[in-house]
Amino acid sequence: MSDANGGGAVVSGLVQARSRSLDDVVARRHVIVCTGAGGVGKTTTAAALAIEAARRGRRTIVLTIDPARRLAQSLGLSRLDTAPRPVPGVDGLDAMMLDMKRTFDEIVERHATSPDRVQRILDNRFYQQLSASLAGTQEYMAMEKLYDLDQTGRYDCIVIDTPPTRNALDFLDAPKRLTDFLEGRFLKMFLSPGIAAGRFATRAVGVGTGLFMRAASRVTGAVVLDDLAEFFQSFEGMYEGFKQRAQAVYHLLQRPDSAFVVVSSPEPPSLREASYFLRRLARDGMPTAGVVVNRVTVAPGGHVGAAPTAELMEAAAALNPDDDIERATAVLLELAIEARAIVGRQQQAIEAAFHGLTPPRLVEVPLAGGDVHDVDGLRWIADHLTGATAA
Amino acid sequence: MTTGARHWRPHLAAERKVTHLVDARTLLDPRVLLVTGKGGVGKSTAAAALAIASVRTGRRTCLVEVEGRQTMRALFNTEPWDFDEREVRQDLFGLSIDPEASLAEYLAMFYGARRLSRLVVNSTAVEFATTAAPGIKDVLLIGKVKEMERRRDPDGRFVYDMIVVDAPPTGRILNFLRAPEATTELVRVGPIREQAQSLIDLLLDPNRLRLQLVTLLEEMPVAETAESAQALTELGVQLNPIIANRVLRPQADAATMKVLADGIAADTLQTVLAGSGFDDPASAHALRHLGEQHLRRLGLQDEMRAALHEGVDVPVFELPYLATRSFAENEVSLLADVISAAVS
Repeated sequence: MSDANGGGAVVSGLVQARSRSLDDVVARRHVIVCTGAGGVGKTTTAAALAIEAARRGRRTIVLTIDPARRLAQSLGLSRLDTAPRPVPGVDGLDAMMLDMKRTFDEIVERHATSPDRVQRILDNRFYQQLSASLAGTQEYMAMEKLYDLDQTGRYDCIVIDTPPTRNALDFLDAPKRLTDFLEGRFLKMFLSPGIAAGRFATRAVGVGTGLFMRAASRVTGAVVLDDLAEFFQSFEGMYEGFKQRAQAVYHLLQRPDSAFVVVSSPEPPSLREASYFLRRLARDGMPTAGVVVNRVTVAPGGHVGAAPTAELMEAAAALNPDDDIERATAVLLELAIEARAIVGRQQQAIEAAFHGLTPPRLVEVPLAGGDVHDVDGLRWIADHLTGATAA
Repeated sequence: MTTGARHWRPHLAAERKVTHLVDARTLLDPRVLLVTGKGGVGKSTAAAALAIASVRTGRRTCLVEVEGRQTMRALFNTEPWDFDEREVRQDLFGLSIDPEASLAEYLAMFYGARRLSRLVVNSTAVEFATTAAPGIKDVLLIGKVKEMERRRDPDGRFVYDMIVVDAPPTGRILNFLRAPEATTELVRVGPIREQAQSLIDLLLDPNRLRLQLVTLLEEMPVAETAESAQALTELGVQLNPIIANRVLRPQADAATMKVLADGIAADTLQTVLAGSGFDDPASAHALRHLGEQHLRRLGLQDEMRAALHEGVDVPVFELPYLATRSFAENEVSLLADVISAAVS
């Protein structure tokens, strides 16, 4: 029962996945998206893959949303930014930490139809709330930036980690949500001539709309609706561009030279999310490169790792508790028993999560002594991701 | 309505002289606990353990999930949770708040007109809430929590003694809490504004609601917890003692730990092991490595504990790492034991 690597047909798909590393992904793919639940090491994985791609002579950029401070520092990022910065000590690697508000402002500045409109948008209270708040906007901004970076043609490899949203899937949904919204009734209502004239309760806007508007203005006050109408109207002429870029990114992500890397911890909640995401990627026809499980506990080597657990327990019990060394040895045997229990539990959880999904690659990165936040640490992780450490 | 209304203002928080709790006995004192933490620290497990401890100490409790992940369903091994409050254990109710259902409920309550609310909810308002004004979702979620907190049974008693909310993670918690304030900035008059203001009142009242930060004694979670604690305090919300989750305990008594720390020579260890049937050098090597790793983790944990105490002016309550846990609810139950013991 304690044999975590038990064979059988069920596991064979995973055995094959385990035999492959991300080596060829780093070497050849153009866009690499790291995704997964919060706190599983997405950003660290993205940074490690980017360092490795750059080491192989590919012009690379890593685009990250909200890295831990020390990791950001080691990538040479001291603040949020909208422009790529070279990573000190790593040739051919740029890094960028996305400033949501600035990115949104830049899009407005670039695409609005007149300078007057730019100012109207930037001054609008709804815009200020929307562009500064996290939900929804982040995924969209990451999309726009990915589109930009691809368009520059400056990079062979673009590595990006998805925003820490409540749901990693929001990233994929962003183009569709935007398109639905732009084509939906809600926006049309605000763009209809009756609204523009401030007469939303009249027949000019239709019965349903009028009813909604009357209800909404009772709940929120008419000023809010005017603000909102102005907000949507000032974007007129830009909607088609939003839609086109969102679609372009969606197709870019679907290309066979893109790669989704699903990152997880060995704990059931994040593994559950990872398996859900694998299914979702398959449904969207997205190119899944594989799964990375970070911070995996490694089984002890030697006979203590292979013998039946009962044998270890007996051995520990037989040692003399009055002798310092023997008592300490018994504790070490207990630690081995515990480590093996953790290994068994983690491997079971990994197999349960990916059973039947057969990701193309499954890479486990062992638990390091402490947090990884420098270039050397990232190279250590990269070696595991590309199979360079395999004996 | 504006005079006397409280706002998120740092100076006000300072005026109120936010006092920090010193004792784990106060963990379950407020009526609403918003549990937050960095992703991966076991926030949902801690929320579930707090809810069970609350029930065990005689409180009728509701555990609320807000991000629709169905984490609790897996923890409690039940049917999927939804917008109906269901008793999942004796005196423990479970609810998964869905912003769209909250919107429908709110509009139905406000207008009493089902026709309108259905019309609105089915189409444009939902589009509005989910796309144009993301903050609205959060206002609706907090609004539902407030409704439950105020709800009374026919003889005037509060229906729930305690509401534990598995709130958004620390990366999103500030925007979540600021949503009512953002709404009052956009909406200057009318019922939505009043509703938003009443939510701000709830969030700022330390007797009604507190924030429960959960962390691990690891570098990134500790750094994020310290930052969040400061930002939350500036916002004016009261913090509960911080829960440090999965804290590793030394494997042995101090004397034996010292023997391990001094190190056992490779050949000595191999000789002792030979008597137990593990005479291969690889076994000795693996055991020495495990011992060093254990000591290194304890050392790192001590550093992080010190960093946490230095970075945050809030007491820390530690929950043990359960290495041999096998079932999720088992773990939650064991952690609830620790919390119940501390509060009683």
